[in-house]
Amino acid sequence: MPATPLTRICYVEDDEDIQRIVRMSLERIGKMTVEVCGDPLKAIDVITAFAPQMVMLDWMMPGMDGPTLFKKMKEVPATAALPVVFITAKASKKELDELRDLGAAGTLSKPFTPKDLPEQLRQVWAGLPG
Amino acid sequence: MDSPLSSSSSNDPGSRPRDAADRRRVLGDQVELLYRQSIQGIVASILIGAIATYELWSQQYKDLVIFWWVLTLAISALRLVLYFSWKKRTDTDHDKWLRWFAIGAFATGANWGFAGSVFFPSHADEQQVFLAFLIAGMSSGGIPFFSAVWWVYALYAAGIMIPFTYVLATFGNHLFAELAFLVPLFYAANVAVSLRLSQVFASGFRLRQAYGRLTEDYSVINRKLEHQLVELEEARRQVEASGRKLALFAERSPIAVFEFDPHGQVLTMNPAAETLFGWASPEVVGKPGIEFLFPPEIVPQVEKRWAEFIRAREPEIGVRYHNVRRDGAELICEWSMTPLVNAENQVISVIVQGQDVTQQLESERMKKEFTSTLSHELRTPLTSIIGSLQLVNTGVMGDVDKDILDLTMIAERNAQRLLDLINDLLDIDKIESGKFTLYPEMLSLDELVHEALALNQGFAERFKVRMEAVGDLPAVKASVDRKRTLQVMTNLLSNAAKFSPEGGTVDVTMQLNGGTARIGVHDRGPGIPAEFRNRIFSRFAQADMTATRQKGGTGLGLAICKRLVELMEGNLGFDDREGGGSTFWFELPAQQ
Repeated sequence: MPATPLTRICYVEDDEDIQRIVRMSLERIGKMTVEVCGDPLKAIDVITAFAPQMVMLDWMMPGMDGPTLFKKMKEVPATAALPVVFITAKASKKELDELRDLGAAGTLSKPFTPKDLPEQLRQVWAGLPG
Repeated sequence: MDSPLSSSSSNDPGSRPRDAADRRRVLGDQVELLYRQSIQGIVASILIGAIATYELWSQQYKDLVIFWWVLTLAISALRLVLYFSWKKRTDTDHDKWLRWFAIGAFATGANWGFAGSVFFPSHADEQQVFLAFLIAGMSSGGIPFFSAVWWVYALYAAGIMIPFTYVLATFGNHLFAELAFLVPLFYAANVAVSLRLSQVFASGFRLRQAYGRLTEDYSVINRKLEHQLVELEEARRQVEASGRKLALFAERSPIAVFEFDPHGQVLTMNPAAETLFGWASPEVVGKPGIEFLFPPEIVPQVEKRWAEFIRAREPEIGVRYHNVRRDGAELICEWSMTPLVNAENQVISVIVQGQDVTQQLESERMKKEFTSTLSHELRTPLTSIIGSLQLVNTGVMGDVDKDILDLTMIAERNAQRLLDLINDLLDIDKIESGKFTLYPEMLSLDELVHEALALNQGFAERFKVRMEAVGDLPAVKASVDRKRTLQVMTNLLSNAAKFSPEGGTVDVTMQLNGGTARIGVHDRGPGIPAEFRNRIFSRFAQADMTATRQKGGTGLGLAICKRLVELMEGNLGFDDREGGGSTFWFELPAQQ
């Protein structure tokens, strides 16, 4: 478990409505600082600039899907070590296992419950090596 | 003496009993001949006997002549009796009848022998000549009557000759002594003639039997042949009928049917094939079919596969190829190829059936795309709707007017229902199309039940219903899909909670019977209406449509649960609960 509590999160998601709900949930309930990026092609720059403790990725996005973005992040030193949680409507266990094999810290399925979201993320955070 | 026919058939293992039967029949024929001729013999005996009685009559030997005459009549009468009993016989014991006949013949012969030996010495010369003539006549006259069986004659003649020879030999007269020496020679000559005659009779009878048998065999063979001809004709009709049927099937079949020769030349094609590819049969028959039916770029590849197929001589089923119509339009066909192989294991021709699956593939693709789109495009807005409403309803956004909160609660509940419905529809679609994948792991079932109870406690509280496990659940391990088992449990528990009376309890039990764990969810609800029982596991099944609105739910839950449990090699069902209510249970293969 990391020594510092989870407070800074970057979320890459193309759907603006979901962006806002996640932002409200994490900011209001989770008392976290949230940066949202709507364009996966710019995500690496945004993440690098914001320097979050954890990154949340949507799976299906126009331009570049979540797993591809995840692989790109691994290639960039500034983002390579960041823990990544996928949030996806794809619920098949096979696909979730694939994500874990890629090195994802966790997966959350859509639709999520905004009330529980900060707690779920904190559990993933707590499960990470310190 | 064997007839050529019987000897030629002696190699036949069936001929031995047949020969024996033949011999019996021949004996029967011989005995019959003896008896049939015996009437004339008896009549002749009586007539000649009467003449002899008259001739030998003298005062001196009156008693003896009368005795002899009575004896002659008695023997004749007895032989007549024998003849009539033979005529009325019911058995076929030829040996017995022959024996009796032989006794009669010997008695007759001995009677004449008696006449010769008693009256010869006592009478005058003329009468002696008469007697010698009589004895000779009687012995040679017996040949035609008794020679059907030679030894019967031999007995008869011996009866005559032996006493007479003895009398001649002991007469003390030189001439008679010489005659006594000659008589046995006559006897032997007569017996020899009789033997020869007997053999001729026997062989005649054998020939008759053989002929009879031949005729019989011939008629049996004839009947068999006739029968076979009828069968052949029937078989020909059947072959013709199935040929017509087959032709009709090919002609009317909606599937394209070709017959190819092993080199890939078209021999025949049916109307469906003409319609599908746009070629008329005469344009294609006799030409290489592959060039007509496949796009030029894949022709070499298909020809190579064809050659391999002809070598392998194994049918191929459901092979998909890109094909081309006459007008150039491409299509995808599913082909089945069946080689017709002759006794020398050579391919004579190949029946090739093709079906246009272009549309089917396209609709499969569209359905898959639709399902995937439905999954993503419907869930994404629902995520926003439910998320927004939850943020409002949980008070994160601050206090909201109670009436507004009621409305947003209703909105959230119904959005959730919509989401459940989508998830259920996707599930059932996957299950029914066989694309559903389970991820089984070895899990502790009792822990899973407790987890399901904890997860659904909140839901039960909404209905003011308690949920609890009865006693300690046995520790049981099973290979199950965790998420899907929880889904089944959740479904059964939430159904039980929904239909329980307020303040009621839902009891959960688990038993291990052999290799099966049975998990039961027992409620005190209204029970399952009789008219609903047989469709409870079908899609959109709810006892009462108003229940859908009152209780929520999609009506797909139990249908999915049953299929899920069956996919895990288990079973799901329900019973009435004693004292009211229902028990829903499912069984899974498990171990302790």
